[in-house]
Amino acid sequence: MTKKRPVVAIIMLALFAAVPLLITPAGAQQLSERAKQVGGKFMCMCNCNQVLTGCNHVGCSTSSAMLKELNVSLSRGDSEDAITQMFVQEFGTKVYAEPPKSGFSLVAWVLPSVYLFVGTGLVVFVISRWRKRPAIQVAPAGGVPGISAELLERSRAQAARETQD
Amino acid sequence: MDIFGSFALVLAFVCAVYAFGGGIAAIFTRHPLLIKSTRQAGMATCALIFLATFSLEYLFFSDNFANAYVVAHSNRDLSTFYKIAALWSGQEGSLLFWSFLLAVYVLSVLITYRNKNGELMPYVGVVMAGVQIFFLTLNNFVASPFKALASPGADGVLNYVARADGSGLNPLLQYPEMVIHPPNLYSGYTGFTIPFAFALGALLARYPGEKWIHLTRKWTMIAWMFQSCGILLGAHWAYAVLGWGGYWGWDPVENASFLPWLTGTAFLHSVMMQEKRGMMKVWNVWLVFCTFLLCILGTFLTRSGIVSSVHAFAQSSIGSWFVGFLVVIISVCLGAYLKNRDYLKSENQLDSIVSRESSFLFNNLILLVSCVAILSGTLFPVFSEWITGNRISVGAPFFNKVNIPIGLLLLFLTGVGPLLAWRKTSTESMKRNFGWPLGIGLIAGVIALVFGFREIYSWVCLILCVFVASTVGLEFYRGAKVIRARSGATYLASAVDLTMRNTRRYGGYIVHMGMVFVFIGLSGAAFNRDLQKDMQVGQTMQIGPYSLLLQGFDSKPEKNYTAQRMLVEVLRDKKPIMMLYPEKRHFATNEQNGTMVAIYSTLKEDLYVVYAGDSPDTQLPVLHAYLNPLVKWIWLGGAVVVFGTLVAMLPNRRAVLVLAGAPQPATQQLTHGLTPSVTMRDGHD
Repeated sequence: MTKKRPVVAIIMLALFAAVPLLITPAGAQQLSERAKQVGGKFMCMCNCNQVLTGCNHVGCSTSSAMLKELNVSLSRGDSEDAITQMFVQEFGTKVYAEPPKSGFSLVAWVLPSVYLFVGTGLVVFVISRWRKRPAIQVAPAGGVPGISAELLERSRAQAARETQD
Repeated sequence: MDIFGSFALVLAFVCAVYAFGGGIAAIFTRHPLLIKSTRQAGMATCALIFLATFSLEYLFFSDNFANAYVVAHSNRDLSTFYKIAALWSGQEGSLLFWSFLLAVYVLSVLITYRNKNGELMPYVGVVMAGVQIFFLTLNNFVASPFKALASPGADGVLNYVARADGSGLNPLLQYPEMVIHPPNLYSGYTGFTIPFAFALGALLARYPGEKWIHLTRKWTMIAWMFQSCGILLGAHWAYAVLGWGGYWGWDPVENASFLPWLTGTAFLHSVMMQEKRGMMKVWNVWLVFCTFLLCILGTFLTRSGIVSSVHAFAQSSIGSWFVGFLVVIISVCLGAYLKNRDYLKSENQLDSIVSRESSFLFNNLILLVSCVAILSGTLFPVFSEWITGNRISVGAPFFNKVNIPIGLLLLFLTGVGPLLAWRKTSTESMKRNFGWPLGIGLIAGVIALVFGFREIYSWVCLILCVFVASTVGLEFYRGAKVIRARSGATYLASAVDLTMRNTRRYGGYIVHMGMVFVFIGLSGAAFNRDLQKDMQVGQTMQIGPYSLLLQGFDSKPEKNYTAQRMLVEVLRDKKPIMMLYPEKRHFATNEQNGTMVAIYSTLKEDLYVVYAGDSPDTQLPVLHAYLNPLVKWIWLGGAVVVFGTLVAMLPNRRAVLVLAGAPQPATQQLTHGLTPSVTMRDGHD
């Protein structure tokens, strides 16, 4: 092998590493950043299941009316809480793009962490059990607990006999 | 023809019931004739379902507007292309299409194993027939696509009527992906029936656990590939059709398709633990059960109207049937497991936490946590309404916050897992395998920072993508180097040779590379931007490096609609690149409108242009342009995933790579701390 090969490989990998350069920094936005930030917390109520600032239904009268209300509130200097109150009063709790972090809705936020912690605990438990297990349990004298070694062996032989790829 | 189709469906139901009942009897009596007749009943069921499906297609092609389903989903001017797809455009037809695809799988299994696995196949046949009975019940008695149009006469008696033309296909569905996305996705859903049938059959037959894994590996991979393909085609469709939330909007129906994909992916990884080490047998059986259950649950969510979705079928009472079926499946699986769980004991110990086994465990953990988190988020609005009386929406921001960190963790494991050896990984091996990929990943991170990359998740994602791509690249490089040293072939030919010698392993790496591309594409979403402007002819609009010049308008009459088009010239550095034609379509048959976007796609970004109607203030046409970075990488990644899966399904060209004569250092590099015989001879890891 020549010395050039690893160099070529490294250059190719470095080119791949330059993928971030493909992205140019963000430019002008039409909605103000504040409107985008606040509007992103509500759903468009036209049943499209998209956030208010993301609804791309052509001619969606619901999102344009909601965005107009949002712009008016923001230009009035209303706080985010006041805008939230206004939309919740108008459309109900369905207007939230994500569950509020209070009351029963908090459960939605807590659950993924619970899954992760419980799951990790289970994996750690399983690993520790597997590490303590004797090295070979294949067909021990007493067989797998609950069934005899002879029965297990017979099942294996049957499976091997009857199954072919 | 509608009577013929209806009759074929009834006969198919009868045959499926016989295959089910006779199959159970055959299991107990072992009578050869009974076994043979039930297998043939299974085949007849499939043939009759094919006949029913072709009958419905015939009704579409013959413009039979006496059939209610044809009237609702077709019209005379609908193109042949969409008349094929109209079959699955509504509740009744899509359920028949489910039965059709399931019949293709069932027939393939019955033919493939007609003279094999004598003791196991009756169990498998019974499970498959049971699933078919459920869907044929829906096809025959709940949502028949063969209902004739009728109206009550003066005497109160129903008279059959025929309409002059149909209502036409929903304009949103008149897009090329309508023809390929549902067949792929449904092939994924239905395909998981086969591993499920083998897993349940093997458990009922008290097979110790390894064999059904071997038998179903390819079926699982086929189903997984179709599911992946279906999800990505759906994403592309949702991206190109306005109002569907982009390529991924965490819509309940999108989530429903993703859930079995996650558990299926977990299964494809953990199955290696069972094959290699005889571990995770219970886990694998339950992963297959859960994957199938999630397919049914997903169908329930899509069709019951329990969650609101832009992709869902109309609300109907069909949901209760699915709930009943889910209860039956869970009961049977649980019963079979409790009865025969002793046959699923693991046989080996874990030697070290730093090992391939541990990485698979954590990979499964992450996939399952993601699956459960998405499921609970999807169903949370329903639960919140039950418990508090208020329906709380759970939209994309929630799912992004929860799943982006999980996805990044999974991406990290995608890079780490293959570099760890089975049983135990030495520190030396860790240094050797992780040094370069980590270094290159960090260099990429620094480059990104220097060039103003400040979006934290995208930044981490790109570092991990480069890390994983480097690990995959180095795996190919090291393996090809050994082969090249022996054969003198080029690196590319050696890499191909390497792949063909161990298709499963290197096909898997190609799939990982495809996932890296998908993640690169997803990371671009943080940098999307858009601009909207009222335009006069001759005016330009600037977005990013592109100038959009409105050259004019035209009207393009087509057979089924009339299109109003904007003629937009795209310029870059004052040089014309191409013309884009965003259009609005008017479908006269159902008086509905559709909007077709025009996309100029490069690896760097998509210029996505929409004719957004006329401004109510200025009466001028509105051009809405989006610049979406890196989107093309998602579709490219999808193609690579499919290619990798196909490679992994190929048989190995040479089963054993003899390394005895190979130089020792090369051997060590190739096997990462494992003894050469273990890695290479097994032919799959």
